[in-house]
Amino acid sequence: MRERIKEKLGPKIKEWHEHSARRIYFTVDKKDIFETVRFIFRELGMRFSTASGSDTPDSFEILYHFSNDSSGEFYSVRVFIEDKANPEIDSITPLFPGAEWIEREIWEMLGIKFKGHPNLKRLLLADEWPEGEYPLRHKNES
Amino acid sequence: MSFKIKALTKSIWVFHVSAGSCNNCDIEILDCLTPRFDLERFGIQLIGSVRHADALLITGAMSKKSVPRMKKIYEQAPKPCVVIAVGTCACSQHMFKDSYNVDQPLDKILPVDLYIPGCPPKPEAMIAGIVKLVTKLREKI
Repeated sequence: MRERIKEKLGPKIKEWHEHSARRIYFTVDKKDIFETVRFIFRELGMRFSTASGSDTPDSFEILYHFSNDSSGEFYSVRVFIEDKANPEIDSITPLFPGAEWIEREIWEMLGIKFKGHPNLKRLLLADEWPEGEYPLRHKNES
Repeated sequence: MSFKIKALTKSIWVFHVSAGSCNNCDIEILDCLTPRFDLERFGIQLIGSVRHADALLITGAMSKKSVPRMKKIYEQAPKPCVVIAVGTCACSQHMFKDSYNVDQPLDKILPVDLYIPGCPPKPEAMIAGIVKLVTKLREKI
């Protein structure tokens, strides 16, 4: 499986890290994320587990976790979004609806805009929560 | 009122609300209904609509989104209705005291009759709590 990924994505992979035999992380550019996810999901047939977003000092980081159920391996695709003032990334919801809610959650918690998301509206926060306030950004730490 | 309370203590129908819980308390509540503890032999059962409920059983730390919904649910419950807070989150907000998404503990929002602390509380603790509540209600009659 890793050969097929390396062969297909080739130079798009910026960094490859094997944390253990079954836990693999690799970084791609944010403009390549849709194509990468499409390849892993459609062609390799891996299951989308979830995505996780975090606020790091230099950028926002999103990890898309994919499980290869036949071998028990976990592949996490890492993306950095450097533009912290106006973070944007392509939505992967058009590929599979399972990503819709997690993208909505990342959007409301971190303020990362998903381009092409069909239904980007509030999911978990209260109805009267102020617009433009993102609770999981570091400046809101108490 | 005392007749209604007497009837209520005979077989308590419980409506379960999760107001931002982590699901752990909810799993323990289900454990109470399994054959090992079998609360149904006392007539206690979970029901699907709050309009039939004698007791409102609340888990979770009351997230801001759930507060107005929680009030609406309480308004729909037939009175007298006892309110049971299960788990430390519902009793006292626990570790979510300073969270961005929580501002009031449950007992500032609704009149709570019974607190069952624990993270999560054991089924035994819940049964002991319910026995105490029923004893107390019967003394009132």
